[in-house]
Amino acid sequence: MRKLGHQKHYYLMLLPGMVWLVMFSIVPMFGIAMAFQNYNPGNGLFKSEWVGLDNFKYMFQLNDSKTVILNTFIIAVGKIVFNLLIPLIFAILLNELRSLRYKKLVQTVVYLPHFLSWVIMSTIVIGIFGYYGVVNTIIGMFGVDPKLFMADAGIFRQLLIGTDVWKEFGYNAIIYLAALTGVNPNLYEAAAIDGANRWQLIRRVTLPALTTTVVLLGVLSLGNVLNAGFDQVYNLYNPLVYSTGDILDTWVYRLGLQNLQFSLATAAGLFKSVISFVLIFISYRLAYRYADYTVF
Amino acid sequence: MKRNMAMLLSVVLLGLSLTACTSSNDSASDLKAPSKSDSSSATPALSGDDLAFSKFPNPVDVHIGMVVDPTDKTLPEGDSVSNNQYTRYLKEKYNINVIVDWTAATGNDFKQKVSLTIASGKLPDGMVVDDRSFMTKAASSGLLYDITDLFQQYQSSQVKDIMASTDGRAMENASYKGKMVSLPNITVDTDGVHVLWIRKDWLDKLQLPVPKTTSDIEKTAKAFIDNKLGGDKTIGIAGPSKNSFPYSTFLLSSNNMGGFDPIFGAMDAYPGYWLDNGDGSVSYGTLTDNTKNTLALLADWYKKGLIDPEVGTRDNVGDPINANQAGIFFGPWWNGGYGNGDSFKNDPTANWQAYPVYSDDNKWNAHMKTTGSTYTIISKNAKPDVVKAILIMNNALVRDEATFDLSVAVGWYPLRNVMAAANETEYEYAELLKVLKGETQPEDYNKPNSLYKLMYADAKKVKDVIKAPFDDLNVSNFNTANFGDFQRLYSIMIGDRPFTTIPIDKKVFSVTYNQTPTMETKWANLKKMEDETILKIILGQAPIDSFDKFVKDWKAQGGDEITKEVAELLKK
Repeated sequence: MRKLGHQKHYYLMLLPGMVWLVMFSIVPMFGIAMAFQNYNPGNGLFKSEWVGLDNFKYMFQLNDSKTVILNTFIIAVGKIVFNLLIPLIFAILLNELRSLRYKKLVQTVVYLPHFLSWVIMSTIVIGIFGYYGVVNTIIGMFGVDPKLFMADAGIFRQLLIGTDVWKEFGYNAIIYLAALTGVNPNLYEAAAIDGANRWQLIRRVTLPALTTTVVLLGVLSLGNVLNAGFDQVYNLYNPLVYSTGDILDTWVYRLGLQNLQFSLATAAGLFKSVISFVLIFISYRLAYRYADYTVF
Repeated sequence: MKRNMAMLLSVVLLGLSLTACTSSNDSASDLKAPSKSDSSSATPALSGDDLAFSKFPNPVDVHIGMVVDPTDKTLPEGDSVSNNQYTRYLKEKYNINVIVDWTAATGNDFKQKVSLTIASGKLPDGMVVDDRSFMTKAASSGLLYDITDLFQQYQSSQVKDIMASTDGRAMENASYKGKMVSLPNITVDTDGVHVLWIRKDWLDKLQLPVPKTTSDIEKTAKAFIDNKLGGDKTIGIAGPSKNSFPYSTFLLSSNNMGGFDPIFGAMDAYPGYWLDNGDGSVSYGTLTDNTKNTLALLADWYKKGLIDPEVGTRDNVGDPINANQAGIFFGPWWNGGYGNGDSFKNDPTANWQAYPVYSDDNKWNAHMKTTGSTYTIISKNAKPDVVKAILIMNNALVRDEATFDLSVAVGWYPLRNVMAAANETEYEYAELLKVLKGETQPEDYNKPNSLYKLMYADAKKVKDVIKAPFDDLNVSNFNTANFGDFQRLYSIMIGDRPFTTIPIDKKVFSVTYNQTPTMETKWANLKKMEDETILKIILGQAPIDSFDKFVKDWKAQGGDEITKEVAELLKK
């Protein structure tokens, strides 16, 4: 109790955060009830008719739900894998550069796209992959007929993953570069004296130094596996690529805000949250086991 | 971790708006609004237009939600959304205080805000929504004021005339289950009749006649491309972008720039419309053989490279048109003029002309639109005086719009919902031609409260913009010095000419322009299937036979059920 008295200013500082949490995170949780109702705005949350699991049943009857869940998984997993690997490779290569100025320049240039929103990026992407875009001009030189990439369901997912990696790899590499600065230079010197060449230095010194970081980032991103990127997909897709590009978030958006099916959208959103919750739970367990990482 | 929290948050966003916004609006208006007995004792002596334009003895507060065009720069320094020339006008003339509860930017921002406002069940006193499903959702949830009686009492004679010009369609459009729950938007009928827009100067260069049928169009488009009249990237026919549609539908029945509506019409196909078969049954126009045949034709055109290769994925159909790469597109009367202004700026000789597309047996078939697609909705919780104030605001807009100082965009007028006589453009076309030929004088149209509210202003300008000869107008007849006037008069005199001067052989109305109960849950899925199938067939990504599978799936996944419901409507 005496301890509490001493620390009361700390608790006071905690208060605004707690109030915020209650107002914006705890209270809205009651809205989940909508998923089990035939929600009528005129009657409100308390008087709307309860329908049990009807919304969920209808949701899984729709062919859409399967397509959308599958797309979400594929796109999100693809992004996680490539957003781990490409920055890693990039960071290692950058680390091998001798010229500090050139290194800085490259780093600055590649992480610029991170700061552009998808609204702007989508225009650039559509420009590049458009019918008269850069890509078609280049493959045209080899005699290939121009293709309409943005309308091709067969490659839309790859396009999403690719452009996301392009936008983020420079930024994601920062964490690896930071980890690399922590490597003791003595290790390199010792290995060099033992006769290791450059490739062996990377394999035996650099990579092991990064393993923990890679594992940690990989495990943590598991909780994100259902976040396939609303902004990106919403700005790039069109009906022609619904079959491979429509994800849970865009689906919920269309159901709830464009078609005013509030209950169905809430049900779909809740479904996503529950799965994400389980994945976060698992990922923290894994993070603890393999990377010795805990939040609490 | 943060992202996950954000995700959890977003799931329950709908719920948040629901619990957080408890009755802030009504309590605020309680404070200042005069008590009921006050106002009703002050008004009974008045009637007709005196009542429709009466000034409140005490200030009335009207809380509104408002759409704001973020690119608009016309509001003078120091003025704001709730204090500008229009709000001051309402305050001075009618003692109406406009209080803006929230604003949202044009487009998706506004739609989201409206959607969330409805979901939370707490509407401002008044707001203008731009989709009928918003209105019906709010009405079916019991959120809207029944204005049936007040409207009868408070509408101005001008509004009454405009309502009457639609033969009751406007009233039906504004009603839900027989009760008038919103003020309808009434736009000119010709907004829903899509015509062929073509570069006449290109035709003249190649000494080609104006194409009449689909096969003529095919030949013309091919000639444009072969002769590279729009440069290396010449597009024969521009098509819908990712934000417009291959054709208008019963829910969005007008103003479809870049759609293929006239081609479907020429093939006697009306996709997206509910068709009365004449024997008490209805069918959905997309499922017909004629639609399938038209799709086969369009797919063939696409394959031959006549249609914009980037159709369906472009940001804006206007881009290639304004860059003068395209020779043909389809759209309503205002598309040439208002819709493609930059095309004229980039090439002053771009002589865009509008014509109907005929079927092979020489018929002009056109689908017709509903009266309008925006609605002023009024909250159930609004005080009667507030409702009256909103009706008066509407009357005042209709009467005085032409007299406002329009250097401040009229979009800033609170609760602006356009009401124009259904035949306004046709009337203006005919009368402006008379003014040009000297048969009438602009002063002849100086009639305040006229049904055609912009007629006088246009009559005064028309001679400055259009030069003789008047019988066969081309772009060279127009003076573009005042570009706004040019756009309006070009749209009326060129764009509306087909609709005004050529009778339509077959006008097709949809059995309904509204959603039935089953549609509210199942339409999104069906529409998605339809959009996907149609575009894929046109772009050659799916064989034409996939159409049959679509028809089967469509029927099985709720289509049959919905068709029955629409057939019920026919019986009423």
